[in-house]
Amino acid sequence: MLRLIGRRLLLMVPTLILVSILIFALAEVLPGDVGRSILGPYATDQQVKILNKELGADRPLYERYASWAGGFVTGDWGDSLLLKVPVFPTVMKALGNSLVLAGFALLIIVPVSVLLGVYAGLRKDSFLDRGITISTLSMTVIPEFVSGVILLYIFAVWLKWLPVTAMPPEGAPFVDRFYYLILPAIPLMFLELGYIARMARVGTVQVLAMPYIRTAVLKGLPRRRVIFGHVLRNAMVPTVTVIGSQVGWLIGGLVVIETLFVYPGIGKLMVDAAQTHDVVMLEASVLMVAVIYMVSNLLADIVVALLNPRIRMGG
Amino acid sequence: MGEERSPLRPGPDLAEEASWVDADPEMLELQADAGRKSEELHADAAAALEQKRQRRYLVRALLRSPTFMTGLIIVLFWVFMALFSTFITQSPTDVDAMASLQAPSAAHWFGTDDLGRDVLARTMAGARTVLVIAPLATMLALLWGGIIGLVSGFYRGLTDEIIMRLVDVLLALPIIITSILILSLLGKSVAIVIVVIGALFTPVVSRTIRSAVIGEREREYVMAARLRGERSAFVMAREILPNITQPIIVEGTIRLGYAVFTAATLSFLGFGLVPPSPDWGLTIATERIFLQIAPWTVLFPAAALASLVVGVNLITDGLSRVFSK
Amino acid sequence: MSAMEQPASSPDAAPAALDVRDLEVTFHRRGRDLPVLKGVTLRLERGEAYGLVGESGCGKTTLAMAALRYLAANGTVDAGKVLVDGQDVSTLSEAAVRRWRGKQIAMVYQDPATALSPAMRIGDQVAEVFRYHEGLDKKEALERARESLRRVALPDPDATLRRYPFELSGGQQQRVVIAMALAVNPSLLVLDEPTTGLDATVEAEILDLIEELRGRINASILLITHNLGLVRRLCERVGVLYAGRLVEEGPARDIFTDPRHPYTMGLMRCVPRFGMNKTDAALQTIPGTLPALGEPLEGCVYSARCPMAKPVCTRREPDLYAWPGDAGAQGAAQAESMPPDPAAYSPHHANPVGEAARHARCYFSAAVSTMPATTPVLATSLEERGGAEGAVLEIGAVSRSFKDGRRRLTAVHDLSLSLKRGETFGLVGESGSGKSTLAKCVTGLIAADSGSVTFEGKLLRPTAGRRSQDALRAIQMVFQNPDSTLNPAWSTRAILTRSVRKLAGTREGSVRAKVDKLSADVRVEPRFLLQRPGDLSGGQKQRIAIARAFAGDPTLVVCDEPASALDVSVQASILNLLVELQTKEQVSYVFISHDLAVVRYISDRIGVMYLAELIEVGSAEQVFNPPHHPYTEALLSSIPKLDFDSEQQRIALRGMMPSLSEPPSGCRFHTRCHRILGEICETQEPPAQVAADGHTYNCHIPPDELLALQTGEEPVAPIAE
Repeated sequence: MLRLIGRRLLLMVPTLILVSILIFALAEVLPGDVGRSILGPYATDQQVKILNKELGADRPLYERYASWAGGFVTGDWGDSLLLKVPVFPTVMKALGNSLVLAGFALLIIVPVSVLLGVYAGLRKDSFLDRGITISTLSMTVIPEFVSGVILLYIFAVWLKWLPVTAMPPEGAPFVDRFYYLILPAIPLMFLELGYIARMARVGTVQVLAMPYIRTAVLKGLPRRRVIFGHVLRNAMVPTVTVIGSQVGWLIGGLVVIETLFVYPGIGKLMVDAAQTHDVVMLEASVLMVAVIYMVSNLLADIVVALLNPRIRMGG
Repeated sequence: MGEERSPLRPGPDLAEEASWVDADPEMLELQADAGRKSEELHADAAAALEQKRQRRYLVRALLRSPTFMTGLIIVLFWVFMALFSTFITQSPTDVDAMASLQAPSAAHWFGTDDLGRDVLARTMAGARTVLVIAPLATMLALLWGGIIGLVSGFYRGLTDEIIMRLVDVLLALPIIITSILILSLLGKSVAIVIVVIGALFTPVVSRTIRSAVIGEREREYVMAARLRGERSAFVMAREILPNITQPIIVEGTIRLGYAVFTAATLSFLGFGLVPPSPDWGLTIATERIFLQIAPWTVLFPAAALASLVVGVNLITDGLSRVFSK
Repeated sequence: MSAMEQPASSPDAAPAALDVRDLEVTFHRRGRDLPVLKGVTLRLERGEAYGLVGESGCGKTTLAMAALRYLAANGTVDAGKVLVDGQDVSTLSEAAVRRWRGKQIAMVYQDPATALSPAMRIGDQVAEVFRYHEGLDKKEALERARESLRRVALPDPDATLRRYPFELSGGQQQRVVIAMALAVNPSLLVLDEPTTGLDATVEAEILDLIEELRGRINASILLITHNLGLVRRLCERVGVLYAGRLVEEGPARDIFTDPRHPYTMGLMRCVPRFGMNKTDAALQTIPGTLPALGEPLEGCVYSARCPMAKPVCTRREPDLYAWPGDAGAQGAAQAESMPPDPAAYSPHHANPVGEAARHARCYFSAAVSTMPATTPVLATSLEERGGAEGAVLEIGAVSRSFKDGRRRLTAVHDLSLSLKRGETFGLVGESGSGKSTLAKCVTGLIAADSGSVTFEGKLLRPTAGRRSQDALRAIQMVFQNPDSTLNPAWSTRAILTRSVRKLAGTREGSVRAKVDKLSADVRVEPRFLLQRPGDLSGGQKQRIAIARAFAGDPTLVVCDEPASALDVSVQASILNLLVELQTKEQVSYVFISHDLAVVRYISDRIGVMYLAELIEVGSAEQVFNPPHHPYTEALLSSIPKLDFDSEQQRIALRGMMPSLSEPPSGCRFHTRCHRILGEICETQEPPAQVAADGHTYNCHIPPDELLALQTGEEPVAPIAE
């Protein structure tokens, strides 16, 4: 087991290096002249040159990459070009806010969608199955800003049950945050609902067709024992894998929701940085997102291994 | 028997005819022979029919699937509107400063926006950009992803290892974020958005197709082709590809749904199109400040966008259900 | 039928273990109704073992599932009923069905690997039965589970309790399934192809276990199988099912020595008898193909394939008549001219079901024993096939290994052999012995790591991609799985056309003619050329695959289990076709099969593989008779045979097949050998002993000693534990 985790961690290193190269390339090489792309077409050549020197953009590429990547590893992420504040604490604070929002959404949606999916799978092809599958999938494919504005209108503007903003006023108790987070969290839940439910359904349907389920039934076990003892555990394998890989998708959703609700998370930070060409901030936050994505995939793999003795013991 | 035979009416069959012909043994044998022949012909026709039946079965099952048909009608409605709404509704871009933010009325069924533009006209025309971007991006993704998936699934080994490692890398970054990165640097145009979405969907498509190819390549007919001395390109294109069309079609419709999703989201975030395009995502982004005083400016395009993605999704669901049976 | 309708709880007779009455089951698929069981009636007395024999699609598993009330959702019982222990299954409530399953009736399945829950420890799976049927707590249940495992002779039950299914071998898994089924002493045990897919020696082990358990449990057994030999070993009575109809029923010995239905007769004739060779006799085939599920059949269900069918057979379906009785003789006489009057016969139900009761669903039962043989001997002797011309293929010290995680599995180890023109070389061995890998090294689908493959005196390149088109043409292959051997997207004509173009290099105009000739040679009617493989039967697909291999007039065809996936009645015609083509085209075969009787039948020479090595080579005759390698001896003893005259002495092998990654030292077979000499076997590689001209085997025991041992002149050495 430990060996498995160790190997997966080791495998992450080359992927992470490639990702960082990709981000670096996208942010610094693609636009050609960094200073020019930041200052725009109306800046004088002199200004561009000074900025490039300030950024170190006049050095050779590999040198720039090495110092950037090295800085990232040691926690020296530089200063924001625009806000003139250190990047590291800014990104971390935003990340914290995002984790609260996403964690809140996931905490509610994972059990709900697994329940719905397994239920639909157990009653495959029934009216309820069709209903659950189609409605959850529809919720998933509707862009979160669409469900966001519709929910915002219904609950905040029309019914006035929930606040329009996502952050409580300064000094409010911490618990209040969750009340303010309900509205932004729902579209995020929608975003995940269909996938997780679909995977749970598919997993259940596949496991139900396996001969060992027939064995369990013909052993004379009660239905709930068959489901909880034999079906669920095996049906969860694809579901867990999907929850892990869905984190990337969830982060994409965060970008939109945080923009819509003006919530100071990492998604909003990235959009702002991209719009203002704040390259340093952008690179750092995107790389951070990639790290989060890989860590969550690793966690999913570990859970899968725990569910499957073959992987767990094979190492 | 004097009745004249109509060419449209079938004649009496052999046995009946035989009853009034003198039954000599040779004749009977001939007839029996004819009967055997016609039986064979009959079996031939039956076989051909069965084959047609199999193929038609899919089409008929699709036509009978309520989810598929609902989805198809919704999508066709928006395709029609994208093409012809200008002939039906008012202009989506005509500004009327005097009529800004009017509630829905007989003159403006869906009301007007802040610039006095007719929301109905803008909503109907809003499908255009998305319906250009999403299918083209999907096709690009299928093309690139198909080639990459075929090659890496077929050759396995080092080629596969390298390609899949790169795919992992691309997948480690959320698609929205990568596209924002690229679009903020490359500028905004429909063509760039298409290429970017197409490129970013490629890894996922290639993964799906790769696993379908791996499922096929160990099959014995592929080995038989190798023993016949076929080139790899032939095996991939002629032997394997025709057997993975169903997963490709399903993957294509799934991607189409996401392409609509992604294109709309990019517009909303301001990385897609620029005003005065009536694009739904863009409209929702620019008008959402009026949500409290003029919700119709936002809610109608939002509902329209929702209906299109749900429509595509229903098609996907119908297709995959029929295929999996 | 009214004679049978006694109340189930009649006081004078104990209820039968299983009582199926006029059972009709229909499946509904794509809006069509497909009748699967058409009025099946059978009765299992307490303690009886009943074999239900039939090929795929005849409805035998459906019958078992109906007995367990576990039909698929699209299946319905339209008429008749099933009584288990006098209890009408259909009247049980859901809760009662649950209590009843496992406790009264239990099942053992075909594939033990998938029949066990993969993520649950063996102990928990077995203990479950006790917890839910006997209300024991976890600890007690585990204790009972341990006993159960001990009962099925699993080594080290304590360790097995803690294992997961994937940590056990196939044979051990099946023992666990049996332990689970017998846990709370059910009154009826259903065995659904319990050994299909297991290796011969493992199969023998499981059969021994079942036989041995029968003495200790009081369960009746319903054995469902296509394997007549299995029924012969385990069952007192047999029912033969064809297209949803019971066509013959009676005591096993009678049915196997004197079948009274043409289908039963056909089945007996189409499997090669032990020791039979193609030059002595041809396999009799059953013409036609198995009817598709729910295919409408007029008259007798078997009439379309029956060599004895008379007009009456297609007009009116016969009942299940008693045999011997007036049915046979009178029926034959009467049916000749007119449809028989049912009143003139004694129908099945009027007969008391007893020891001697035999029934056959045929008007002409009396004539079955003289049913004409249809196939002439097809094979000529090896010399006539050009076998004297010397080696076509020479394999020199070929090795091939695979990486499996951190281990290296050697699938073929330093193996050499040669093959003459027109010769069939049979390769036998259990799964994992390396047969298929060797075949793929020859054809170039897999490159050998070392060693050489020489063909007609020229060294071949290791992979097919690098071989010349002519080398490819000359060495072709027929694969095992009819469902994946042909590209489902191509028409059969396209498949053959492409092969003819690539392999025969024929000019455009004559390609069509060549394709037509090929399909005629393999006896596929031209109309099937328009169709895609999905519309063909398994046998037809395999025929097309054979035609494809012969497209370029090959010199050598490697056949990897070409008939194993087919029903026995189809298998015979494929084997005959191969023999016929060989006689005509003078082609050489490497023929791989796990079925020893088939290999014996078709081969001129045979090689036996064990753990990646060829341990014995010789003529078919030599290898199958002593003196032969102890492993060959054990393998041969493990096949359930059909003959009743020879009581066979079974040799049980110890332990499990060792891993290919760590083959045993010295002789690779020493860990399981029943004739082990001692230390020499563990430390020294055995020499090749020459038993006779062209017959060698690798063992430390010299031929004359081995011969004495194996012909029983000396007692078998006790197995050293």
